[in-house]
Amino acid sequence: MVTAEHVSERRLSIPNNPITGVLLAIPAYFAGLWLGTLFGLNDDANTGIILGYTFATVAFLIGVGFLNYPLERLFGWRVSPISDPEENRGIGRFFRLSLDHKVIGMQYLVTILIMLLFGGIGAMLIRSSLLSPDSSITPPGQYIMLIGLHSVMMIFITSAVIVGPFGNYLVPLMIGARRMAFPRLEALSFWLVPPAAVILAAAAFWGGFPTGWTGYPPLSEQAGQGMDSYIVGFALIGLALIVSGINMLATIITLRAPGMTWTRLPIFVWGIFTTSILGMLAAPVLAVALVQLAMDRTVQTSFFLSANGGSNYLWQNLFWFFGHPEVYIFILPAFGIIMEIVPHFARKPLWGYRTGVVGLFGVALLSWFVWQHHLFVSGIAPVLRPFYMLSTELISIPTGIIFLVTLGTLWRARVWFTVPMLFCMGFLFNFLIGGISGVYLSDVPTDVTLHGSYFSMAHFHYTIMGGEIFALMAACYYWLPKMTGKMLSATIGRVHFWWMFIAFNSTFFPLFIAGILNMPRRVSSYDPALQGLNTWVTISAYFLFGSMILFAGNVIYSLFFSARPALANPWHARSLEWQLPTPVPAYNFERVPMIVGGPYDYGVPNARPVADLGGLVGVTGGG
Amino acid sequence: MAVRTRGRDVSPGVEALLDARVVSVGVWLFLAADLFFFAGWWFAFFYLRALNNNQAWMIQGLVRPNRGFGTVVLILAVLTALAYFAASRTPGRGSVFRLLAPVSLVLGIAAVLYQGYGMWHLGFGLTDGAYPSVFSGLTGSWLVQLAGAVAWLATVVLQAGARGDTLARPHSATSFGWILLFLAAVGIINYFLLYFVA
Repeated sequence: MVTAEHVSERRLSIPNNPITGVLLAIPAYFAGLWLGTLFGLNDDANTGIILGYTFATVAFLIGVGFLNYPLERLFGWRVSPISDPEENRGIGRFFRLSLDHKVIGMQYLVTILIMLLFGGIGAMLIRSSLLSPDSSITPPGQYIMLIGLHSVMMIFITSAVIVGPFGNYLVPLMIGARRMAFPRLEALSFWLVPPAAVILAAAAFWGGFPTGWTGYPPLSEQAGQGMDSYIVGFALIGLALIVSGINMLATIITLRAPGMTWTRLPIFVWGIFTTSILGMLAAPVLAVALVQLAMDRTVQTSFFLSANGGSNYLWQNLFWFFGHPEVYIFILPAFGIIMEIVPHFARKPLWGYRTGVVGLFGVALLSWFVWQHHLFVSGIAPVLRPFYMLSTELISIPTGIIFLVTLGTLWRARVWFTVPMLFCMGFLFNFLIGGISGVYLSDVPTDVTLHGSYFSMAHFHYTIMGGEIFALMAACYYWLPKMTGKMLSATIGRVHFWWMFIAFNSTFFPLFIAGILNMPRRVSSYDPALQGLNTWVTISAYFLFGSMILFAGNVIYSLFFSARPALANPWHARSLEWQLPTPVPAYNFERVPMIVGGPYDYGVPNARPVADLGGLVGVTGGG
Repeated sequence: MAVRTRGRDVSPGVEALLDARVVSVGVWLFLAADLFFFAGWWFAFFYLRALNNNQAWMIQGLVRPNRGFGTVVLILAVLTALAYFAASRTPGRGSVFRLLAPVSLVLGIAAVLYQGYGMWHLGFGLTDGAYPSVFSGLTGSWLVQLAGAVAWLATVVLQAGARGDTLARPHSATSFGWILLFLAAVGIINYFLLYFVA
């Protein structure tokens, strides 16, 4: 039997870090490739590639240090020192397995921003291709590869861009906890992302995949080896969503500080809570679809082959049962950010807090009943159309409630127009357009006409980029001072906002017109009469990309050159995370905090301070 | 790898209780996610069976998998779960736990090996229609999860010594019993679907 003494006696000196992970992953990939080729059927090496990616990912995780705990339990081996927040100081902690939620949050943020850069470069290449209406810049085969890589990379990013960095960093601070419920799972959810991104990028070496992010068979069954990257990469992101969801939910349910009742929970935490439910329950269904696709491509099963008893509609149902809740996985945390930030700068209580929570749950609940609207044009039984049209239109009601809560908070407020607040305003404007265009698309006749056009493409970019990414920017300007200890330049931030806001609308609004004029998406050629419009959009897109470069420049300048230290509470906010010192101590709270007030009681007469922290730092009162 | 749960002002007893609640909630959340995973497979089963595209749900002359074989695997899996569940609820975690948990482990290993052997000797080709696809996918997914659970069960058994983690954190070991029970329940549903309903 393994005892505590045995554990401390046996220690192997294998350094656990990403370099070890990569060094293990390379031979593991070739071992998988060899094994797959040995046992694989006549499947164009798909078995080998999928096994190779899987082995490489497992080996990478082992190299990073994820096998240590099971080994310790089984044999008493301790492979590397304990990763403990108090033992892990210095810049090196960001480059290895850490169980500190703050380190993981920062690891997520940097990784996702790097991925965003690559996704953005993909978008620029797509737009550059469309400068010519006749596929002369990029041949159709390469164009569809660009579309696939850009779309899946962006889906990976937007699945995690808020929950990953800000959920992990802030949720424990906001609920008064010292850690996440399952720190190893939390770390795993992050360390699955880099292999997923690399595997997806590897698709380019195999000629990409022609299906876009939806992966519809039979095209995905016939596609080349790049499709295997799609399968494994997406599966890893799905796994990350599941473990992240379980961890977030368990943390919020079990680790709230005394006095942090459900009705005192910050609205951002509610956004993470509802998102986590969706991620935890929807991603397993995606996993099933991906396993089936992998089996069809490797061991020659026939889940999606009609001739052999399968059906490509099976994929469409399973994929969109995940895919539509996935859309709300993007936007619910963004709603949480907007409703969180607005009261602080409106200096008013969040109007209709409970209604806002109901709105979040309403969106989350209804998102399970709308997936078949994605099948309107692919042959859904006509008798089902009215139900899914109605359920899709219904979802605008809880979304409207969330808007109402935000606007009610702004009503007659003396708004402090900081940079985060500007991005909140930009979110409201953009998402309103994205949301309303979505109501049009939920209508069957409109959807049948516009589904394959740029109208649909403009709609989802308005919701995802105009919504989620603007909320991400608001979150960065609002919370990075707490996370990094440095204030971002407000002057550059204001230029960034206006530049991004104008460039975004200049890029995507004309695409509604292009869609109405029947410009098809995913096709590299179009009617020459639309060339002027497309040139305008492409130039606007370059400006939009430039605004993101400006943001990156602002971060680098503010962190490393101007280095203006952030106060503990630069926004004079009431919520709990701002009552902690900057930088946040290793275990967040020296004593378990006692929550005695709500986070949004601005201007409330005799409002109690938000918490008793045992004199850690000053606590903001009601004023 | 120790992870400190709470601060210095929290007693070990309170920390243990909190730990138990965290693990318990986590296990139930995991089971909810896993239920959706298997629900996806069950949907595929009913969907393809109802469509019967090209009359190829179960092609003529298909040799069905051996029902007796499936029965043995199911009995082993159920006994694994029941033995562990009973062991983990024994007051005091004494000799009964140390007796039943290894028995559960042996039964679990037998179930995994037996099912694994069965997967290599299906009696039909995977290209022989939709039923073989669903059978291999659903059974394979269940087998992979059962194998993972049995591997974890091995760590629980190895940690059941006087100073092992299993006794130090008894609630975690108890919560793990629900995972085995869940897999056994899924095994029962799969058994009826694949051997009778199909």
